Amino acid sequence: MKKMAAGLVMAALVTGLVGCGSSDKNDSDTTQTTTKTETDSSAATTTDTTAKTDTAEKTKLTLWFYFEGKERFDKIKALTDGYTAKNPNVEIEPVFIPFADFKKKLSVGLAASDLPDIVVIDNPDTAAYAAMGLFADITEKVNAWADKDQFFPGPWSSTILDGKQYAIPLGSNNLALFYNEKMLSDAGVTPPTTWDELRTAAKALTKDGTTGIGIAAPGNEEGTFQFLPWLLSAGATFDNVGGAEGAKAYGFLADLVNDGSMSKDVINWTQADVMKQFASGKIAMMVNGPWQLPELATNAPDLKYGIALLPKDQQYASVLGGENLGIVNGKHVDQAVDFAMYVESPDVLKDFAQGFGYFPARKDVAADPYWADNDQLKVFADNMNYAQPRGPHPKWPEISNALSEALDKTLLGSGTAEDNAKEAQAKIDKILGK
Amino acid sequence: MLSRQNKITGYVLVLPALFYMLFFVGYPIIDNIRLSLLDVNVMNVSHGEQPFVGLGNYKELFEEGVLVTSIVNTLIYTVACIVLQFIIGLAFALLFSKTFRFAQRLRGLVMISWLLPATITAMMYKFMFSGDGVVNDSITHLHLGSHIDWLVTPVPAMITLIIANTWIGIPFNMILLTTGLTTIPKDIYESASIDGANALQKFWRLTLPLLKPAIYSLLVLGFIYTFKVFELVLIATHGGPVNATQMMSTYAYKLSFELFKFSQGAAAANVMFVILFIVGILYLWMVRREEVSSS
Repeated sequence: MKKMAAGLVMAALVTGLVGCGSSDKNDSDTTQTTTKTETDSSAATTTDTTAKTDTAEKTKLTLWFYFEGKERFDKIKALTDGYTAKNPNVEIEPVFIPFADFKKKLSVGLAASDLPDIVVIDNPDTAAYAAMGLFADITEKVNAWADKDQFFPGPWSSTILDGKQYAIPLGSNNLALFYNEKMLSDAGVTPPTTWDELRTAAKALTKDGTTGIGIAAPGNEEGTFQFLPWLLSAGATFDNVGGAEGAKAYGFLADLVNDGSMSKDVINWTQADVMKQFASGKIAMMVNGPWQLPELATNAPDLKYGIALLPKDQQYASVLGGENLGIVNGKHVDQAVDFAMYVESPDVLKDFAQGFGYFPARKDVAADPYWADNDQLKVFADNMNYAQPRGPHPKWPEISNALSEALDKTLLGSGTAEDNAKEAQAKIDKILGK
Repeated sequence: MLSRQNKITGYVLVLPALFYMLFFVGYPIIDNIRLSLLDVNVMNVSHGEQPFVGLGNYKELFEEGVLVTSIVNTLIYTVACIVLQFIIGLAFALLFSKTFRFAQRLRGLVMISWLLPATITAMMYKFMFSGDGVVNDSITHLHLGSHIDWLVTPVPAMITLIIANTWIGIPFNMILLTTGLTTIPKDIYESASIDGANALQKFWRLTLPLLKPAIYSLLVLGFIYTFKVFELVLIATHGGPVNATQMMSTYAYKLSFELFKFSQGAAAANVMFVILFIVGILYLWMVRREEVSSS
C-alpha cells in the first residue's frame, strides 16, 4: 500500500514537472480551454457583425501591447477611443501583456488560434512572426494608401518580408549619446565624436564612484540593439561580423571595460538601468533612446545633460528601434488596417508620438517644429538618417542571440574579440544556411 | 474480500482520475516527444511541412554544447542547494524542536522566505549582489576582501543563485524534518539517556536513522523542486553571463520562446524529464529496499 502511494506521488511529481519543463505544452492546454470560450464569443461576434447592418451592433477588436504603466496604457486607449469616435461601429480593446510574456503568448496563441486582431510588435520581431503566419498580407491595401511614401525607409522596410507587407510602423526611436554636462566640463572634455575621443573622454571622466560611460549589454535583444551601432559604425553588418571590422567593434567595447571606463555590470543592465545610473550620476555618459527623456525629467529634474550622435569609427551609425502595428491574419483584417492607418494619420500621430516619446516614422510629421527645432530631439531626428533596422529576417532572434552572446563573452574577457567575432559569424552563417 | 460488484464500482470510480491523467499528463508528454522528433521552427510552426528528423534535434543540442553546460550547471546547482538546505534546515528543525520562548514565533518568521514569490526573491538578490549593492558594500567596508562582480562573473553568479535558493529552501526542509521529528517517540531518548548515551550519540544513532523516511522524501522532493528552478535564474541572471548559469529549464524556455526553435526546446525539456524520471525510479527503488529490509 505504502509502495503504491509512493509510486503515485512520484508519478505526479515527475509528470508535474514535464508540464513545467515543456511549458509550451502545458500552457497550450490551458489556452485551449480558454480558446473554446473565446471561439464561442468570437462566433458570437461574427453573428454580431452580420447582424450589424440592422442592429448597429459593434465589431470588437483586440489590440495587444507591452508598454508598461498606466500613463502609456491611457495613451493607447486614447488611440482606440479616438478611432471608435470616428467609427462608432468598431470597438478596439487594448490589452496589456508584459514584455517577458509577450512572445510566449503570441507563439502559444498562434498554435492555439487564440489571437488578438492587432499586435504592437518590436520591429525586428515582425519578420519572424510574419514567417510564422501570424500576420495577414496587406500589400494590396497598403499599395492603395497614398500616405505610404511618407514613411522613412528604415521603419518601412521592417514591415516587409519577401516583398509582402504585414504591418504598418507605429513609431520609431534610435540611440544617441547622452552626456552629463557638468561632469564633462569639470573634466575638461568636449562631447566625443569619434571612438578615440570617446575612449579618452571616458577615461578622463572615470573617478571615484563614477565610470565614464554605460551601455546596456545583456545577452538578449536589448544587448544586440545597443551593440549594433558600434558594429555598423566600424563598417560591419549583422551578417558579416567575422572580419576585422566586427572584431574591432567587439574589441572597442571590451577596451572600455578593461580601461575601467565602463563597468562590467553593463552585461546585466537594461536600458532602464542605464538611465537610472546616469540619472544618479554614477555614469557620465550613456547610450540610450528618446523614450528616456520623460523618465529623466522625472528621475533627475535638475540634471543638465546634452545629447549627441554616437561617436563614430568609419561612419555615423545608429540602430532603429520602435514598434510596428502587426495586422493579425483573422476575421478583422480590414478594420485592423483601417485602425493602423488612422493611428498613422498626421494629426493623430503627432499627438501620440509626442506623448509617447516616439520619433514619428513619417517624414512629414517628423518635420514638425516639435522635433525639428528641439535641440535634444533634433539629434534623434538627424539619427533617423543613419538608423538601420535589425534584419529584417525571420530568424532574427537567433542571429541576435549569436551577436549578443559574442558581446558578453568579449566583455567578460573570455576569448579574444577576433575569436568571438568569428564564432558569431560561424553561427550566423549556419542560421542563414550559408 | 471485495465482492465483484464492489470491484466494478471501484474501477468506475477510478475512471475520471484516469482520464484526467491521460489528458492532462499523458497527452502533453507524448505530444512533447512527438514535437521533439520533428523540425518545427519559426518557418513552419503554423503552416507548411514539419519534417521528421528523428533524434536530429537531440544530436544537434548535444553537439552544440549549451545543453551539456546546462545539465552540468543544473546538477551542480541542485546538489549544492540540497546539501546546504538540508544541513541548515535540519539545524533549524532541531533547534525549534526544543521548547523555548518564542520558538513558535521564530519558526513562523523563518517561513517567510518560503512564502515569498520566487520573482521577488530573485529581484531582491539581484539588487543585493549587484556591483554596488549591499553585499559588495559590506565586503569592502568591513575589509573582508575586494569588490566582486557577483552577477557578471561565471562562478560568483552561480554562487549567488545557490545562496538565494538555499535561503528559499531552508523553511521547506525545516518543516518536513520537524514533522519527521515529532513522529519519533520521546521515550526512546529517555531510555537512551538511562543507557548513558550522550547528545551526539543520540543524534547519530537515534534521530538520524528514525528520520530516514522523512529524509528520503525530502531529498527527492527537494531534488525535483530544485532541478526545475526557473524564475529565480531567469530574473537574477537570465542564464548569464554567457550561459554560466544557464539551467535546463531556462535553456528549454530560451530555445522555444526566445529563439523560436520549438522542437529543440521540446527536446531539451524531454532530456530534463528523463533525468528526473531516473531520480524518481531511484527513489522508488530506495523505498522498496527500505521496506524489504525493515520487514
